[in-house]
Amino acid sequence: MADFQVLEQSHPRVDAWEKVTGQANYAGDVYLPGMLMCKILASTRSHARIISIDTSKATALPGVRAVITGYDFPQIRFGSGALKDRYIMARDIVYYIGEPVAAVAAEDEITAQEAIGLIEVEYEDLGAVVDPLTALRSGAPSVHPDLESYEGYGFTIEGGNICTLLDADRGDVDQAFMEADHVFEDTFRSQGINQGFLEPMACAANVEANGRLTIWASTQGPYQVRAQLASVLDMPLSNIKIIPMELGGGFGAKLRLAFEAFPALLSMRTGSPVKLINTREEVFTLNGPRHPVTNYIKTGVNNDGTIIAREAYTIFDVGAYLGAGPNSGIGHGLGAYNIPNFRLRSYGAYTNKVYVGSYRASGVADMTFAVESHMDIIAHKLGMDPLDFRLKNTIKEGDIAVNGSRVPGNGLEQTLAAIKERLGLPKELPDGHGVGIALCEWRSGTGPSTASISVNEDGTASLLTGSVDISGSDTSLASIAAEVMGISIGDIIVASRDTDLAPFTGPSGGSRIVYSQGKAVQMAAEDARDKLLALAADRLGVPQEALGCAGGRVYVHDNPPQGLTLGQLASASVNSRTGPIVGNASLSTLPYAPVFSAQAAEVEVDRATGQVKLTRYVQCQDVGVAINPMAVEGQLEGGAVQGIGRALTEDMLFDQETGAVRNPSFASYLMPLALDLPELETLMVRVPSEDGPFGARAVAEPPGFGPPAAIANAIYDAVGVRIRELPLSGERVLAALQGKISEDVAYIGDELDELKRAEGLVA
Amino acid sequence: MLRFDYLEARNLRQAISLLQRHGEDARLVAGSTDFLVRWRQGFWRPSCVVNIKGISSLRRITYSARNGLNLGALATVQAIELDPRIRRYYEALATGATSFAGVQVRNLATVGGNVCNASPAGDTLPALLAFDAQCNIAGPEGARTLPLTEFFRGPGRTALSTGEVLTGLKLPPPQPRTGSLYIKHSPRGAMDIATVGVASVLTLEDDGRTCKDARIALGAVGPVPFRASAAEAVLKGKEVTADLLAEAANEARNQATPIDDVRGSADYRKEMVEALTNRTLQYAFRMARGERLSFEEQRRLAVQTAF
Ligand SMILES: Cc1cc2nc3c(=O)[nH]c(=O)nc-3n(C[C@H](O)[C@H](O)[C@H](O)COP(=O)(O)OP(=O)(O)OC[C@H]3O[C@@H](n4cnc5c(N)ncnc54)[C@H](O)[C@@H]3O)c2cc1C
Repeated sequence: MADFQVLEQSHPRVDAWEKVTGQANYAGDVYLPGMLMCKILASTRSHARIISIDTSKATALPGVRAVITGYDFPQIRFGSGALKDRYIMARDIVYYIGEPVAAVAAEDEITAQEAIGLIEVEYEDLGAVVDPLTALRSGAPSVHPDLESYEGYGFTIEGGNICTLLDADRGDVDQAFMEADHVFEDTFRSQGINQGFLEPMACAANVEANGRLTIWASTQGPYQVRAQLASVLDMPLSNIKIIPMELGGGFGAKLRLAFEAFPALLSMRTGSPVKLINTREEVFTLNGPRHPVTNYIKTGVNNDGTIIAREAYTIFDVGAYLGAGPNSGIGHGLGAYNIPNFRLRSYGAYTNKVYVGSYRASGVADMTFAVESHMDIIAHKLGMDPLDFRLKNTIKEGDIAVNGSRVPGNGLEQTLAAIKERLGLPKELPDGHGVGIALCEWRSGTGPSTASISVNEDGTASLLTGSVDISGSDTSLASIAAEVMGISIGDIIVASRDTDLAPFTGPSGGSRIVYSQGKAVQMAAEDARDKLLALAADRLGVPQEALGCAGGRVYVHDNPPQGLTLGQLASASVNSRTGPIVGNASLSTLPYAPVFSAQAAEVEVDRATGQVKLTRYVQCQDVGVAINPMAVEGQLEGGAVQGIGRALTEDMLFDQETGAVRNPSFASYLMPLALDLPELETLMVRVPSEDGPFGARAVAEPPGFGPPAAIANAIYDAVGVRIRELPLSGERVLAALQGKISEDVAYIGDELDELKRAEGLVA
Repeated sequence: MLRFDYLEARNLRQAISLLQRHGEDARLVAGSTDFLVRWRQGFWRPSCVVNIKGISSLRRITYSARNGLNLGALATVQAIELDPRIRRYYEALATGATSFAGVQVRNLATVGGNVCNASPAGDTLPALLAFDAQCNIAGPEGARTLPLTEFFRGPGRTALSTGEVLTGLKLPPPQPRTGSLYIKHSPRGAMDIATVGVASVLTLEDDGRTCKDARIALGAVGPVPFRASAAEAVLKGKEVTADLLAEAANEARNQATPIDDVRGSADYRKEMVEALTNRTLQYAFRMARGERLSFEEQRRLAVQTAF
């Protein structure tokens, strides 16, 4: 490992003090003189035409200042990607129970709530479709009958409810299946999931005297919110300033425009600042969660355990709007394996449910459950050790990844070896106890990244980036800058930012901040350092190559006492020929850098109740270089906990008739609590990436992928039953133990045939 | 109406007269842990709230070998969990309390509130039923007592009439050679509502083998928590064997009338009744024979979780 001054050492978060003492300000903490409170009226129908909305009683209620409906917004559809399928507030038609139909601004929250109850809406029901497999069938009721007229629509397969299809092919998969010694098929279903962040969506809006709009937002993507808001309000983007506040968790749910447009329009109507704070119930019912996903997998294997073909079909329920794509699932149908022939398909189907959102690469978590359970099933059927079977097929340096990139050097095999050693695999456990493993893969996220660093006259440096800190990334970015500039992390001031002030950057998501934004910070810091060196060379009368930068000084290598402090240099720079020292960097994409993580669970299964108890969880990830080991560990543990919840208890339930969320509360949507968990063991291996800052790789996404499969595999090891549906509840395990769960792998056979026929793959 | 008047009663008489005066528009509160949730959800919208938490005489827990246990209605669930006498003589009640919510809520929640809220899933209720609790009630017409088995009238409905307050619960003295345990099946170890809760109290004859008395109560598998009397009848007077316990457990299952909801299907709940009745009886039997289970061990058994 390189000899670091700052990196690879644990630093408490730079914002810890404010957070722990309650001084950090979140969007809900914004109080402005004369501020009004906003409440939302939600649709009570799954799919219906709006006949009339009568707001007169609400408007007449004392204390109410404005009421808006979808008709008060410009008639402009927007979308999360290219496809523009959605109005910001229902107009003519509601597509799900919970969809915003009207909003009120009143002098206090209770009055706003009362006004909501006074709005009368008359609906005429249209046919609703709730199940995505039904939605895919030809002849199913159409969720968006005019879909083809929507801007950005680009999809022509029969079936009115398909809004997206992603595909990847290589080789001759049908031929390979014919040649394979064995062919295995399985279908897996994962449940609806909520991101479960603590801070509900919140925002405040104020229209300034000059007509500009300021938004205090709880967001991961201020520039994305700015662009989308400008589009739905039909106003110039430069008339909007987004101030991202401290974020109480987002996990992908706050990447895009949420409800900022409501207080914005209400502020424009009233001239007063307006604030909106969602209730927890609203977080569950009107802000994109993840829907159940069905993954069908077929694999051709030879007698020696070599996989030669893979087919994977994902049926992805997007709800009423394509709020986030199924894209993360598709590329991962191969898992961490090199498979020469494949056909991967991912279909997004509209249903009359709350629109889908993002959640920590949730599609990959669903796919990893499927792939890694399937790998285990195959290993057992072939009589091979599950770990050896995986090792035999892992993707290696120089192979071509599913996205067509060459696979660079990585620590995949070391992660498996570390898990094997830590647990002493293979091992025999007493009856009712079992161990299971899962191998996870992801890529380091890229995207537009910028940074600017200016050196202050006292030798500190101010770092300006547009990215929002959702994970302690400010501390890591400060560490990177400190490492480059040879100063301590406490000497880096991380500036608070807004979209007027900081240069454009991509959203905080997809494990991209430390990897990509960190690279920009490294480059900006190098730029600043080079300018310091040049200035020092000039002042000291030595060549630049003769100088080093450490301990807050620029010094002469051969004569360390000779040198200048950064403070002296910064002071001198103010009147120098080149001017004050500012380092800048801007980049767009970085090459493919995979991330691998091996994980293992030990469980105890209660045969009488089916209840699974997680007794041990171990993970090992190739992190490249740990910029801040404490933060890396936090990400690995936090991700695993979310994955454990997904594996065992979390389950968003939707009414099968109406699509309504049945358990919109933390009392019935069960996330694990700190006291519930076993000690989590996190291991790291370090094979530096080729392009990340100092060799770092992304860390945040993969830890959450493994638990569902690792735990399902451990249950199989413990009591010999295979659960193909999440969560792995006591109820399901008991049903399986009693032989009540069928092993029918082809239960989406008819739908698959129909999809293949539409694509012309079968007659 | 979202706004309400908030009144604090200084003593029982005042509480009763305030409740009487405001009638249907008033809602009594103690720990308010149910009240605030229901108010926010819009189920309860009283125009006046009467808080009785300040009446300190209703907070006491007293015990004597002759008179048994007296729980003031305002005794908190945390006080019950921590009481050494309850841990010693009424184990199932202590395990019911320890399986309840989390520490913060236990510190606020009162046993009277748990009883009067009359949720089929209330965690102290099966043990109170299995220990033959009597309700002490005070009202405009004076005081009365009622067996807890007659107190519950349906989900959220009780035998109290307007102006009446539950003042306490009285549990008869413990019998020798008795063991008891409550098990709550809930996927999460804290802050979760029971999918099924079972409390069993088993008393043995001097021979240490024959069942002298058995009392089994079931939670979350019917409109109210109730005694599984048919299962109790299977055990009484018989020599305790694994087969006998299994037979009683099966009888308990037949008495359960659960529904399907977000926490589990009716079928699964029936399975759980059988499994947990059997398990609580096994441990109650061992404890009745003199085996000492530490409180930590009882707690581990009482909270059936995923993590
Ligand atoms: C986060 C959370 C977790 C919870 N977890 C659990 C759990 O695990 N297990 C469980 O059983 N419950 C649980 N509950 C429910 C609740 O805490 C209990 O039912 C508690 O015992 C209620 O007591 P309280 O004093 O707070 O009642 P309050 O909310 O004050 O009152 C509840 C009801 O009882 C009536 N009432 C209260 N006292 C009297 C009295 N002396 N006389 C007449 N009527 C009275 C009130 O009028 C009201 O109708 C939970 C609640 C919350 C908020």
